[in-house]
Amino acid sequence: MHTRTPLHAVTWLIWALAAAFTVQLAPSPVYVAIVIGVCALVVELHAPRTAFSRAFPVILGLAVAFGLFRVVLTALTSHGIGAVWFTLPSFQLPTVLGGFTVGGTIEGPVVLQAAAEAFVIVGVIAAFGAFNACASHYELVQSAPRAFHELGLVVTVGIAFVPSTILSIQAAREADRARTGGRVVRRGRLLRLVIPVLESGLERAVALAESMDSRGFARSTAARGEQVSAWCGLGALMALGGAFIALVGRAGAAALGLSIAGSSLLVLAVFLASRATERVRYRPRPLTGADWLVRGIAVLAPIAVGIAALAGDSSLTWVAQPLVWPSVSVLPLVGTLFLLAPMLVRPVAADAGEPGADAYSTTEAAPATTGARALIGVKPE
Amino acid sequence: MSAIEIRKLRFAYPDSEPAIDGADLEVEAGEILLVTGGSGSGKSTLLRAVNGLVPHSTGGAFGGDVVVFGRSTRTHRPRELADVVGFVHQDPEAQFVVDQVEADLAFTLENLGTPPAAMRRRVEEVLDALGIAHLRYRAPASLSGGERQRCAIAGALAAGPQALVLDEPTSQLDPQGAEDVLAAIGRLNTDLGTTVLIAEHRLERAGPLADRAVIVEHGKPGVPGLPGPVLSAYPGAPSVTRLGRVLGWDPLPLTVRDARRLAVTVELPLADLPEPASRGDVLVRGTNVRVDLGGRRVLDGVDVEGRRGDVVALLGRNGSGKTTLLRALAGLIGTDRGTIERAGSVAYVPQHPGSMLFAPTVRREVTETLRLLGRRDHGDVDRWLEALGLESLAERHPRSLSGGERQRVAIAAVAVGGADVLLLDEPTRGMDWPSRAALEQAVRAHANGGGAVVLATHDVELVARLATHAVVLGDGDVVADGDARTVLAGSLFAPQVLRVLPPYLTVEEVAAAVGARQ
Repeated sequence: MHTRTPLHAVTWLIWALAAAFTVQLAPSPVYVAIVIGVCALVVELHAPRTAFSRAFPVILGLAVAFGLFRVVLTALTSHGIGAVWFTLPSFQLPTVLGGFTVGGTIEGPVVLQAAAEAFVIVGVIAAFGAFNACASHYELVQSAPRAFHELGLVVTVGIAFVPSTILSIQAAREADRARTGGRVVRRGRLLRLVIPVLESGLERAVALAESMDSRGFARSTAARGEQVSAWCGLGALMALGGAFIALVGRAGAAALGLSIAGSSLLVLAVFLASRATERVRYRPRPLTGADWLVRGIAVLAPIAVGIAALAGDSSLTWVAQPLVWPSVSVLPLVGTLFLLAPMLVRPVAADAGEPGADAYSTTEAAPATTGARALIGVKPE
Repeated sequence: MSAIEIRKLRFAYPDSEPAIDGADLEVEAGEILLVTGGSGSGKSTLLRAVNGLVPHSTGGAFGGDVVVFGRSTRTHRPRELADVVGFVHQDPEAQFVVDQVEADLAFTLENLGTPPAAMRRRVEEVLDALGIAHLRYRAPASLSGGERQRCAIAGALAAGPQALVLDEPTSQLDPQGAEDVLAAIGRLNTDLGTTVLIAEHRLERAGPLADRAVIVEHGKPGVPGLPGPVLSAYPGAPSVTRLGRVLGWDPLPLTVRDARRLAVTVELPLADLPEPASRGDVLVRGTNVRVDLGGRRVLDGVDVEGRRGDVVALLGRNGSGKTTLLRALAGLIGTDRGTIERAGSVAYVPQHPGSMLFAPTVRREVTETLRLLGRRDHGDVDRWLEALGLESLAERHPRSLSGGERQRVAIAAVAVGGADVLLLDEPTRGMDWPSRAALEQAVRAHANGGGAVVLATHDVELVARLATHAVVLGDGDVVADGDARTVLAGSLFAPQVLRVLPPYLTVEEVAAAVGARQ
């Protein structure tokens, strides 16, 4: 099946997980920077030009913003660790809220260490942002166990609302300015923007729900197996919850027993539900050699970094005190480069997802349309 | 046997007046039945009752029976009718579940549990039936409105239903897209014998396609009959039909083709056509405007001006830069070259009124603009509500209104600010005839009162009746510019009356000429 990405969604998922693990195992800023660079390259090469690939920089920007927020919070609340950069006015929080000091000395090592840790989070988000941009969400739903199909589909539909919501936010901002002839009135603006966006979203959601209903979604009523599976699922949740309480209450044996029971019930629930749902799939995407190649190479990345970690490679982590440049060693470096595996695959030609790029196909469509016109033309009136 | 039977149907949405009050209608197998009527007449509710969305998805008080190929909607929910009725919604954006056309077509089939081999074949056939095979790998969001709507029809059709219900499928589309969609519907009916129940405003296109037509008023469908006689009595009939009424033709024509044959015998004295009025002071002028958006040159050296008393129409296909030009005139985007001079205040009404409406009532929505501008006198609110025929809707929630009514609310909310120049983007999209008439009156009044209106539109009938000037854009350039009559007369896409009885542009002009003869 010809699609907009050369690799199966599950392959992309494995690649993204490999990248995320690599970043976690090698949190030194050098390796994190390499992984983020690899993600950007992969998106550039493989992401179809849709709203999702355009979202990649936005997602990275959000991750950086969260990271900075974290750095500021840490810098304001951690004190007495290293060299002081400057001092801010400070106050003590009441004991109920933790009793620590906000403000005061802003220290170099604290800021740098927090920044390095935030950078790891940016790395993980970059990996999943790249997955989001490159893989087809629906394909992932199609390959999930059948019991999760309805749930997965609902999530996919939800994700599809993100780009359209971004568009409607832009439209609402513009409409708000247009209303006053270009003059920006700040008072109450949030409300004037949020209500149209939410209401449009709600209208679209209702229309989509009706359309899904009209198209037979959730048509088959719950079969016996599904009912059994639902009870198993409920039982599993209760058992696992009980296990947690037992764990808190330090009843080790009970916790172990309950968690074993809960897990087995969960597996049984998924198995039964998957068997019971009568769902046929349209043209499931087969796995190709390229998929296995990329999977095989990508998993080498965390393995290589993991081996380096076991061997006690000191370049994997970086501490801000004493302040030294992060170092690099060969094995983890080669490891991170394994993540370039998707670059070995030829990207899908750009015309598959782009408006206006189907010049060849408009001529192909022309006879059909002309035929239709001709039929209407001869219809007795 | 009739395919769809509606017997003594009564329905009221929760906490409202009855929307349908004693409707009886039969749709015969294999026919195309055209349903029309003003907004709020209940035609949309009637259509949604056919596949059980009313009452299963809406709630409310339901009485009577709707039987579709032997299945009653009382006992069958929409999903259980998916294999006999396909439903197509007005908004092409809101009916795709999967982000790839081909996979979306298979969605219904997967839900019905069709065997994979049959499913595969069915999808291929539906792709061909609607001429969308070249779009199969595309994302619906990347398609044009007409393409999207054809894909939506394909999705409704994939399960092989015997009937197709379409609720104003072309109201959000440009003329080309609409024509493609209607052509596809006609072909499905001819080739596959699909029974079609369609609500539509574009009577000049849909009328000839239909076997029978019915008008819905106050929640009650009238007596269905041949499209010609039924539609000719309807106030929202196509221009050629109204022309036929003025000239006393019998039978009344529905299409330009019929009208041309009848027009051969008409002799009219060459009446004095209204002279182009002398133009007032310039209120807004764009000179040599160039705009690049997203790496594409959308406008390249465009000159346009709006003077006091002008109604300037911007014409051109989708993507020719009409909206961009309006946004540049409004100052919402900058120009990369050229200048925009504004001698008066300028206000812009966007294409989708949904992006600005937020107040709980129509009146509050309009008043809000004055409040934002820091004005205390709210006297203009009533004037604009009245000008756009919104008095009776003043206390309604804007979101509960039809598309055309909402559009009028948006125009009132922007115009009330007292701008000299109103920029309207596709103001008649999705409008039925009462909305359209109210809009035309308000625009004319604004221009006659010394303001200017610049509107981007596909609607040549509107241009014929309203515009003093017309500018045709193509690929970012001005292709034609001049007074509306000259520009339209030289066009392939002339309004109906001009095509039948040149040089007249509108039915009113012909009526004046007939009056002069007698």
